[in-house]
Amino acid sequence: MNNIKFKGTTLTKLSFVGAVTFSFMCSSITSVNAGHHGNVYGPYPITEKSYKGTKKNSVSYGGQMARQLLHNSLKKLASTGSPSDPTLAPEKKMLAYLNTKDKSKSLPIMDPKNSSKFPVKQKMIGELSGGANLSGKADKRIQTSWPGNMSGVDVIKFMIKKAGKTKGGVDTRNGMNYPQLISKYTMGAVLYHQACDNYLDEKMTASSKPNNKPYKKGAYYTGKEHSWDEAFGYWGAAAHTMKLSAAQSYDVAKKKDLKAADYNKDGVVDLQTEMTYAHAYYASSYDKKGKTNYLKTVTGAFIDGRKLITAADGNKLSEAELNKIQDYVQIICSNWEDVIAESVFKYAGSVYKDLSKIEKALASGSGMDKAMSKYLKHWGELKGFAMALQAGPDNKSDTFNRMNRMMGFGPLMPNLSQVVGIDSSGNYIKDQGSSIGYYKLHMLKIQNLMADKYALKAKINDATGGMAALLEEVGTKKSAEND
Amino acid sequence: MEIFYQYLETISENFFDPKKRVFLGYLFSAFLISFMWLTFVKKEKIKQAVYKIFDKKIFMSKSAKADYILFLLNIIILMFLSPLLISQLAIAHFVFEYLHSQTFLTPLGIDINYMWMIPIFFTFCYFVLDDFTKYVTHALMHKVPLLWEIHKTHHSARTLTPLTIFRTHPIEGVIFVVRSALTQGIVIATFYYVYGGNITFVTILGANLFSFWFHLFGSNLRHSHIRINYWSWLEKIFISPAQHQIHHSIKKEHHNKNFGVAFAFWDYMFGSLYISKSDEDVKFGISETEHKYENNIIYLYLSPLIGIYKLIANYVSSKNLKVKKQKFIFNKQTR
Repeated sequence: MNNIKFKGTTLTKLSFVGAVTFSFMCSSITSVNAGHHGNVYGPYPITEKSYKGTKKNSVSYGGQMARQLLHNSLKKLASTGSPSDPTLAPEKKMLAYLNTKDKSKSLPIMDPKNSSKFPVKQKMIGELSGGANLSGKADKRIQTSWPGNMSGVDVIKFMIKKAGKTKGGVDTRNGMNYPQLISKYTMGAVLYHQACDNYLDEKMTASSKPNNKPYKKGAYYTGKEHSWDEAFGYWGAAAHTMKLSAAQSYDVAKKKDLKAADYNKDGVVDLQTEMTYAHAYYASSYDKKGKTNYLKTVTGAFIDGRKLITAADGNKLSEAELNKIQDYVQIICSNWEDVIAESVFKYAGSVYKDLSKIEKALASGSGMDKAMSKYLKHWGELKGFAMALQAGPDNKSDTFNRMNRMMGFGPLMPNLSQVVGIDSSGNYIKDQGSSIGYYKLHMLKIQNLMADKYALKAKINDATGGMAALLEEVGTKKSAEND
Repeated sequence: MEIFYQYLETISENFFDPKKRVFLGYLFSAFLISFMWLTFVKKEKIKQAVYKIFDKKIFMSKSAKADYILFLLNIIILMFLSPLLISQLAIAHFVFEYLHSQTFLTPLGIDINYMWMIPIFFTFCYFVLDDFTKYVTHALMHKVPLLWEIHKTHHSARTLTPLTIFRTHPIEGVIFVVRSALTQGIVIATFYYVYGGNITFVTILGANLFSFWFHLFGSNLRHSHIRINYWSWLEKIFISPAQHQIHHSIKKEHHNKNFGVAFAFWDYMFGSLYISKSDEDVKFGISETEHKYENNIIYLYLSPLIGIYKLIANYVSSKNLKVKKQKFIFNKQTR
C-alpha cells in the first residue's frame, strides 16, 4: 500500500518486463528440473568393464533397505518389553533384529506389514538382503551423549536390554522411552553415520573405491557407483521421490497412499524402491509444511551425483568430477544434518510444552499420567535425535557438549530426580536435578543452539517463535517522534 | 537506490500504516472531531470552522516548517542509528529466559472457558503499561537537566500541528526507540511466559485495538491549535487535547504538568495533573521571547548538544556535591 504512490509510474513499465522475465525464469527452472531431478533413482546401465554377466542395471542398495526394515522392526519390538518374562524373549528377539544377517529368509518384516490397504512385495528381511545387519554398521566411537563410555553399538545393545525388561518399553521411574531412543539413535548411529561418515566421506576420495574397478571382485557395479547407491539407500527415499510431493512421500511412509507408492503399478509396494523410510520421512514431514525442501534437495543431489558417476562410463573419475561429487556430498550431508537438527529443535519445543503441562498437572493434581506419557515420548525422540546428530562426520564437539549438558542423560522427572550415570551393574544412578523452570530454560537454549549452528528453516514448535511474531506485529519505530 | 526506497517507504509508512499516529485515517478523524467541536460546541459557522482548522498561519508558520524538515531529516538519521540499538527481540529473549530461573512469577493454568479473555486482557495491559513508560520517560525528559536540554527541541515549537510530534532531536528519538523496545520486550516476554504462549493482540487494521481507538478519537489534536477540553472528571482519566496544549504552554504554572499521553491518571497519581480551563489563554514555546534561531534546523540539532556540554562543564567545575545533585541530576525547576 505504502509503496504504490511513489513506485506507481515505474511499476507499469517494470511489471511488463518483470512478467516476461519471470515467465522466462519459470520455464527455465522447469526445464532444469526436468533435466536434473525430474526422474527416478535408477535404473542406470552397467559401466563396470570387467563384468561379463547379463545384468542391465548397476543400481544396488538391497543391504541398506534391509537395514531400514531392520530398524523399523526393531522400533516395533522395543515396545514389547516385559519385566516378568524369565526367558528374556523380547530382548532376544530385538537382538536378532540388531545382529542377524537373514540369509535363510526367516526374519519377518515387522513394519510395514502386508495389508489390503498397503500390500507389500517383501515379507522377510532376507528378501532384500541376506547379508546385512545393523550392529556391524553402527558407530564405533565412544558416545559421550550416553552414560557409561560405550561405543555406538553398545549403547543400542544396552537400550535393548533395558527395553526388554521394561513394560511396554517405557521406564516411567527413570524416564526412558526405549522405542523412541532406540529408533532415533539407530537412525543416526547406523543410517546417517554410514552414509555421511563412510560412503560419502572416505569412499568418495580418489584412492578409495575407484570408479575404474569393481566395488568387489566380480561385482557388476564400480566402486564409486555402489558407494553412492549405498549412501542413497541409507537416506531412505523412494526411487521415484522426485515425482511425488512432500505430502505424498510422507503418506507413503505412513502407509496411507498406495497409489503414490506403487510407481510400477504392479499393485504392491516394493520395499526396495517404492517406500519412504526414516530420515527421508522426517525430511518430508518438514517439507510438507512448505518452508523447506530437504527431501528433494537431497534426493536430487543423489540423482545428479549418480548420473555423473554413470557418465564416467567405468573410467576413473577426474579431479573435476571428484570435485563436483564433493559438491553433491556437501548438499546431501549438510541438508541431512539440518533435517536431524530440525528434529532436535522440534522435540526440544515439544518437551518445553510438555513440561508446562506437567507444571499445571502438579498444581492442579490431575492429568499427570497423560502429560508424563507425552513428555517421556518426546524426550526420547529429542535425546535420540540429539545422539543421532553426533554420529555424523562433522564433530561439532563444543555444540554437542553444550547440548548434552543441557539435556542430561535422562529427563528431569516431576520429583526433580534425573539420571546422571550408570553403575558397574548397568543400573542408572540418579541425582537431584534443577527446577522444572531451569530445565525448560535448557530446552529454550537447545532450540537457540540449533538455530545458531544449523541452517534451520522449518523450526517446528519454536518455543519463542510466537513472541517474535508478536514483536513483529507491534513493529519498531523508524521515526524520531514525541508522544 | 535501495536505501532511497527504504527512506520513501518509511515516510509513506507514517501516513499509510494504521499503527502510526499520523495515519491519514486518524488525521481525517481529527479533522472531523475538530470540525464538530467548532460547529456544534463552539457554534462557529462551517466556513469559519474549516478556515480555523486549516489555518495557514499555523501550518505554514516557521515553526511548522521546521517540524516538517526535522521529520524528513530525522528519518535518515534514525535509519543509520536504529540497527545499532538493542532490539526488542533480544530484550524479550533475555527476559523470557530470566523468568525461567525465578519462582516468583509462574505460568498460569488457564481454564479453557476463559481463553478468549486473554487477548483482550493482554492487549489492554500492553497499552496501559506502554502508556505508563511513556509517562515516566516524558517526566524524566523534563526533570533531568541533561534530558531537558534534548527535549527542549520539541518544546521550542511556537505552533502545534500533528507533525510537531516529529519536532524531536535524534537523541530523543533514540531514547524513545529504546523505551519502546524495553517496554515491548519486557511486557510481551512476561505475558508470553505467564500465559504459556497463548497470547495474541486484538487489532483493528493491524493496530492495537486501544491504540486504534486512542488515535481515532483525536490523538492528533494534542498537537494542534484546536483546544478541545473534556469534563474535569474525564480529564482525570484521559488526557484531553487542551491538557497537552497546556503542557506546551510557556506559563510557569503550566510547567511540568500533564506528562501523560493517553491516560491522565498517571499525572493524577504522581501530582502533575492540570485540569484545563476553557477561558485560559495558552501560548506555546519555551519562553516568552523568541530566540533568533529557534526554527533554524542547524540550531535545533546543535543547541541541545551545546546545552549538554555546558551542563557537564559546570558539573565538573562545581565542587559542592549537594549542588551538583540538585542542579544536574534531578532538578524540579527544569521546566
